[in-house]
Amino acid sequence: MVTSPAQRQPKSRLWGSLTSIRLTVFLLLILAGVAVIGTVVPQDQPPGQYLRRYGQSLGAVIYGWGLARVYYSPWFLVPMGLLALNISACLVQGLPRAVRRSLTPFTWEAALALPERGKFNWPAGVDPQARINAVLQRELGACRRETLPDQEIYLFERGRYRPIGPYLVHLALLLILAGGLIGKFWGLEGSLPLDQGEVARTFEVGRNQHPLNFQVRLDKFLVQYYEKGGIPKEFRSDLTFLKDGREVARATCRVNDPVTFGGLTFYQSSYGSRPEGPVRLQVRHGGLDQTLELPPRRPVDLPGGEAQVMLVRVDGNLQGYGPAAQLALRGGTGHPQVFWVLQDHPELGQQPDHYQFRAESIPFQFYSVFQVKSDPGVWWVYAGFILLLPGFYLAFFRPAARWAVVLEGAASGGFKVRLLGASPRHREEFALSLERLLEGLEKGAPS
Amino acid sequence: MISQILGLVMLGYLLVAVLFLAAELWSSPRLQSWGRVLLWAGLGVHTGALLGRWAGSYQLAALHSAPAVFTDNLRLVILQAPLSNFYESLVFFAWTLPALGVISFRRHLQGYLGAVVAVLACLLLAYASFGGVDSRIKPLMPALKSNWLLIHVVTAFLGYAGFALAFGAAILYLLQDRRPRASLPPLAQLDRLIYRATVLGFLLLTLGILTGAVWAETAWGRYWSWDPKETWSLITWLIYVTLLHARLLKGWQGRRIAWLAVLGFMAVLFTYFGVSFLLTGLHSYLT
Ligand code: HEM
Repeated sequence: MVTSPAQRQPKSRLWGSLTSIRLTVFLLLILAGVAVIGTVVPQDQPPGQYLRRYGQSLGAVIYGWGLARVYYSPWFLVPMGLLALNISACLVQGLPRAVRRSLTPFTWEAALALPERGKFNWPAGVDPQARINAVLQRELGACRRETLPDQEIYLFERGRYRPIGPYLVHLALLLILAGGLIGKFWGLEGSLPLDQGEVARTFEVGRNQHPLNFQVRLDKFLVQYYEKGGIPKEFRSDLTFLKDGREVARATCRVNDPVTFGGLTFYQSSYGSRPEGPVRLQVRHGGLDQTLELPPRRPVDLPGGEAQVMLVRVDGNLQGYGPAAQLALRGGTGHPQVFWVLQDHPELGQQPDHYQFRAESIPFQFYSVFQVKSDPGVWWVYAGFILLLPGFYLAFFRPAARWAVVLEGAASGGFKVRLLGASPRHREEFALSLERLLEGLEKGAPS
Repeated sequence: MISQILGLVMLGYLLVAVLFLAAELWSSPRLQSWGRVLLWAGLGVHTGALLGRWAGSYQLAALHSAPAVFTDNLRLVILQAPLSNFYESLVFFAWTLPALGVISFRRHLQGYLGAVVAVLACLLLAYASFGGVDSRIKPLMPALKSNWLLIHVVTAFLGYAGFALAFGAAILYLLQDRRPRASLPPLAQLDRLIYRATVLGFLLLTLGILTGAVWAETAWGRYWSWDPKETWSLITWLIYVTLLHARLLKGWQGRRIAWLAVLGFMAVLFTYFGVSFLLTGLHSYLT
């Protein structure tokens, strides 16, 4: 079937745009711009935040147009998809040719077709083979010699596989993007808060509970500090995995040290403490001591009735100083005063005006929060990472160049020497080598 | 003690810059070679200071939990590389500039180019010393306890350094282009140096991003979370992808490439400083 140019035109124009580097640059700049927006506008906040921060109209635009989750919005996904198409189209168009070129050996026919870069007439009496060998050896490296009936050709080739390099890079990028998509569609990501001693059969994915096909129990959670008031040293959760109520495995989950079981990976992501019953306190006011029991989050009148106090939260190990309770005290109409009372270190923490608090017992329970995940896309992403390395090596560190020196006897008894060569993508390096080769062939290599 | 030594190194780099400039002004090969000797000396002492700090933070960590077997010990050595806070990163960044400079620019690292590199290293050390940056050695918080810390930070900062070198060459290119001066390196050579340093920086930044992704995957179960620092490193990376394609495929050269190298380095600076000061996220060392 014969297609007229008119019929082929629209398709090839589309193909032309899809494979154009101009589209690539355009998309890269758009992606960079959208990414900038994503770092300037806080992401993933509730709508109210945007209204408060940017005002009614701008806030509504930001939220309504998806700029609050910009990396998951069409602003980002469409150019990203187009970039993937762009890279794929370039791959389809260029890879077969690149492979063919890499598989084509550098023959003397190919060498003779290279553009000529210099021409010399050597008088009789020089040793042409020795001179050529010396110059090529010094400027390029080992080369091959082909002998034809009336001429000798010296061939040098470098970076034959270089044309494949960029395509390996592009293929790697596609693998990484594919991995991201696979993770989005077939991956599972949720979180699991667990109290000490609690057994879980499900975990939260978004707003839903997702069943586990095993059970997991938090035996113990531990937070350790290098020294009191200093930097935390370790967050550690001891887990037991059960099947039908029987223990099948135990593991310790730490930050940077996740645990995998039953196809899911558990990452230590955060922790906290929960009050387990009322906190017992001693209150001193006007020289009088009294005992007080505070249930969580319920205001209690202080002796004298002039003020109320409320237990805001507890911390099982406040900066390494042991259990602590955070209280809010409200006297009259003023702002409440919020302060910590430490069980083992009554001297620390700020006391409110007119009252002095001491903690007698702070019953608490640690809980630990895990990020729970399975992501079949990770291996694609990692495969892409690994493929990038040979791709970069070939693309950047194997500049492709072909050289040939043709030697013929001249009628005068001397020699005719021609230098041929090409290196389409590495003009500067080529020019440097050319200069030195010409000089060497002109004068002979200094011995 | 080590901070005082680093103060001396800073003065050393300043002197290197002065020597290189003077060497250009009086076209004196003798001053050039003094500059180079002093640069190597500064780099040597700087390396020593880094190793000393490494030893110091190893000893501190070994106090908290003495490693029993060889593998634990090795792991502790790797973990305690002095790359875990803002101060240490400044000192290391300052080190990567002359270090990568002598590797990638070789004999061209002298004269104005050498002076630019020495001044940048000097400024970074000055900031580390006088910028009110907390220089105390602190134990590692749990998120940083990973074997990936070392390779991630080293590759990322070497990448920044490559781009800084490209920036230095680009600035000289633009000066030379505006008003040609015999003492500046020829344009073609600067153009080549911009490209060479950019390729090196690009390769290393890519490795930095990849190792960071693998680390994030083991620490948080997410190889990419659009944390501002990650995002800005991606933006930086995209700028250099554009530069490389423009040069290799469209044959861009000279001024336009030099401007792209300047833009890219602005993005590097924002990734390093701007994100830490202006935006918050997983990488905010400063809080
Ligand atoms: C962010 C993504 C990209 C990266 C990191 C990347 C990287 C590279 C690298 C390192 C090279 C080698 C330079 C050279 O060939 O001289 C290259 C070349 C190339 N790139 Fe990309 N690239 C990307 C996206 C694209 C896209 C989307 C296209 C599609 C238009 C494209 C088209 C090309 C072409 C045609 C070459 C030249 C191949 C050759 O030498 O024959 N690149 N790319």
